Amino acid sequence: MSVVTGDSYLKSLLQGQSQLSASPLERLNRLRANAVDRVSALRMPTIRDEEWRFTDISPLTKLSFQPIRIVSPLQVSDVEHFYLAESVTRLVFVDGVYAPHLSTQLSDISKDSSVVVSNLSAATSEDLATIEPHLGHHTEFQDNVFAALNTAFLHEGAFIIVPRNISVEMPVHLLFIATQKEVASYPRCLLIAGSGSTVTVLEDYVSLQEETYVTNTVAEIVLADNAIVNHIRIQRDSNQAFHIANCAVSLARASRYQSISVALGARISRYNLNVLLADEGAECTVDGLALISNRQLADTHTCIDHTKPHCTSRQLHKCIVDDAAHAVFNGKIMVRPDAQFTDSSQSNRNLLLTSKARVDTKPQLEIFADDVKCAHGATVGQLDNEEIFYLKSRGLSEITARNLLTYAFGAEIIDRIPIASLKFQLEQTVLEQTQKS
Amino acid sequence: MSAAIQNIVNQPYKHGFVTEIESDVAPKGLNEDTIRLISTKKNEPEWLLNFRLKAYQHWLKMEEPKWSNVKYQKIDFQAISYYSAPKSKKKLASMDEVDPELLRTFEKLGVPMQERAALAGVAVDVIFDSVSVATTYKEKLAEIGIIFCSISEAVHTHPELVKQYLGTVVPIGDNYYAALNSAVFTDGSFCFIPKGVKCPMDLSTYFRINTQDSGQFERTLIIAEEEATVSYLEGCTAPKFDTNQLHAAVVELIAHDNANIKYSTVQNWYAGDENGVGGIYNFVTKRGLAKGKNSRISWTQVETGSAITWKYPSCVLQGDNSVGEFYSVAVTNNYQQADTGTKMIHIGKNTRSTIVSKGISAGHSTNSYRGLVRIAPTAAGARNFSQCDSLLIGNQCSANTFPYIQVRNNSAKVEHEASTSKIGENQLFYFAQRGIGNEEAVSMIINGFCKDVFQQLPMEFAVEATNLLGLKLEGSVG
Repeated sequence: MSVVTGDSYLKSLLQGQSQLSASPLERLNRLRANAVDRVSALRMPTIRDEEWRFTDISPLTKLSFQPIRIVSPLQVSDVEHFYLAESVTRLVFVDGVYAPHLSTQLSDISKDSSVVVSNLSAATSEDLATIEPHLGHHTEFQDNVFAALNTAFLHEGAFIIVPRNISVEMPVHLLFIATQKEVASYPRCLLIAGSGSTVTVLEDYVSLQEETYVTNTVAEIVLADNAIVNHIRIQRDSNQAFHIANCAVSLARASRYQSISVALGARISRYNLNVLLADEGAECTVDGLALISNRQLADTHTCIDHTKPHCTSRQLHKCIVDDAAHAVFNGKIMVRPDAQFTDSSQSNRNLLLTSKARVDTKPQLEIFADDVKCAHGATVGQLDNEEIFYLKSRGLSEITARNLLTYAFGAEIIDRIPIASLKFQLEQTVLEQTQKS
Repeated sequence: MSAAIQNIVNQPYKHGFVTEIESDVAPKGLNEDTIRLISTKKNEPEWLLNFRLKAYQHWLKMEEPKWSNVKYQKIDFQAISYYSAPKSKKKLASMDEVDPELLRTFEKLGVPMQERAALAGVAVDVIFDSVSVATTYKEKLAEIGIIFCSISEAVHTHPELVKQYLGTVVPIGDNYYAALNSAVFTDGSFCFIPKGVKCPMDLSTYFRINTQDSGQFERTLIIAEEEATVSYLEGCTAPKFDTNQLHAAVVELIAHDNANIKYSTVQNWYAGDENGVGGIYNFVTKRGLAKGKNSRISWTQVETGSAITWKYPSCVLQGDNSVGEFYSVAVTNNYQQADTGTKMIHIGKNTRSTIVSKGISAGHSTNSYRGLVRIAPTAAGARNFSQCDSLLIGNQCSANTFPYIQVRNNSAKVEHEASTSKIGENQLFYFAQRGIGNEEAVSMIINGFCKDVFQQLPMEFAVEATNLLGLKLEGSVG
């Protein structure tokens, strides 16, 4: 592990990039080359940058991380407990590398389905034709050094193509497992939902050991007319790890995007979610929960961009902050001049459990159209004494009442998860984390 | 003003006239010599000159802030004259000796001093450009120990007070424009309310930019000692000019134990014409320090003028149980830009703050609320409530909200809510049903929208503000 700073630090991260094999997709090679150029031109953000004002990532820049060299030999039994009972379609990546023996592909179950769930480097030429217009198209990396780094290492990744009017009944599980320390992994996801299709995708980040590593992910989700996508994102990395994620979603006419993201792990995590409501009648629901303790920092930046009339967006983001943890939320709602009849609401609620816990929140509205309904709200506080009193009057002890209320605060988001087994799992996690004696 | 019949949005600036009084103007440009010149002209003591020079050194090292949501051409600080005073040969003893031309100007503005003073019981410390020319009711106030005079006078008569408090709330290096003001401020008001005194009347001052190309750098300092109470009004109008004028004022308020300061502003400076040409750049630093226990600082502002408004009246709630309030109405039309809001810094225990901000944008204007609520780890039991509402008129304008909330104490409770809306067809229809025309209906809706803030204004201002809003926005709906 070497200590480096500034541009030389970024260069050190690029080591090994040149050894990536060229892709058959010309666009992908060009994209990587551009990204390498951008990484060289950019610098690591500091707290002097408005977008990173409350998130000091300097601990990250003191450590140099490289992509994995020797892949961990994992058995199904090692990771089985992460599998979902509902999901038969599963892609597993270990430290960023595709693990076919742990994955179950759709084609294993039914040969005739036209749905594609596969690894990027195994894409057929037909799939490539579908992927090409979208891959790297929605995530802008000109000014985003982390997205640029991810794109520079773009090689493997999950891609899902749901053709027109197909409804995928079972959730698709994308499982990213971290096993080794001082490793940088660059997971990539691309979901293309054809017009009138429906799909539920779980993006799941887990670790086998408490190690220091970096996960830098980029996800792109494209919805054609009338498509419905449920996107669930669970980040339960090691408490020593760094997790930087960028997700870009683009919605066509009357499509619907519902997302729930839960951040539990990582020493420093940052999630950028950009939702582009690109055509009339599109709807999105963006919910989030950060449940953090000790010295964790969880930063969520969302941008919901209304560009056309009659779009709707709903957002509820909650943070439960324990010990000396620090939660950051920056939620921007943009209403462009054309976007008349926008209906948008945003709410950010924060619960501070200790006197050392810290919250920085900035719900932000930028409105350029007049016939719109936009509201946002933010609250920071502790448990309501009257609510505690009510429960005590019903015979609960002070501590039980507090635990119950804290749990209920987080459960509001967890309850919205449409996958029963995952919901149950997370409910247990939240229950454990919110129990104090 | 024959254009009054026309659409009032297109009406020329009502207060746009230049009083032809000989002005004593310093040459354009800013350097140490300019500062020494101002200091010499004003016959200032050594410590104040040092204060200015130190601020100037700070300013040289600073960069113009770029974070705000406003666009304007770079200001050439060397093209501004930093000192302009109406020439008066001798000290004036009574109102009769005031230049009749000057008095006519105030009359045109609707500020008959004597009348206002007598009827409304208001002492007006009139600031004409940079030098205070007439002060009424001073003796009456002096009887109960209140010092109310121009700051340049206070420097001579009460140097110990000015020295003790100047720059303590807004330090010289606080921000780019505050540093500039500290270096070149020419005049402003000074107000000191001694222990236990409740000021019997609203103190008021009219600011007016008169000489073309002379940026105004006002400095206001208000100190309320233990148990003292004061309400201060500031009203602004400026004549019409085509070149942009810079106004970088600094206002400092200090409230000791149980003191209460209420600061109200109606700002109606020249906003530029309908194409966005001309207008005042209003870059103001206003900050109150609630230093003592149970002290209270309240800001109320109605911002209707200026091409660019960039101000954040703030409260530093240092004393335990201190209270900060901010009530604001910001109206922008044509190409006006406003980036305004407040900062509530909670330091003491059980401190409370309330923010009510109403933004109205019409035409091609940009109206942003930018606010900060910071709860320090020491501020146990702190409480904040913020509400920011925006009203958009037309689809060329924009309304933005940038609230920063930083909480480091878990016993604090912070709430923020914001909404954006327009005047609905159904609302107008409801009025029409009852025989009320569109113009009048809009005026009533807007006044209802701003009611929470207008209620905080002193009586005279509330009337003026209501008229001002109607004038600003008539014709932009329908």
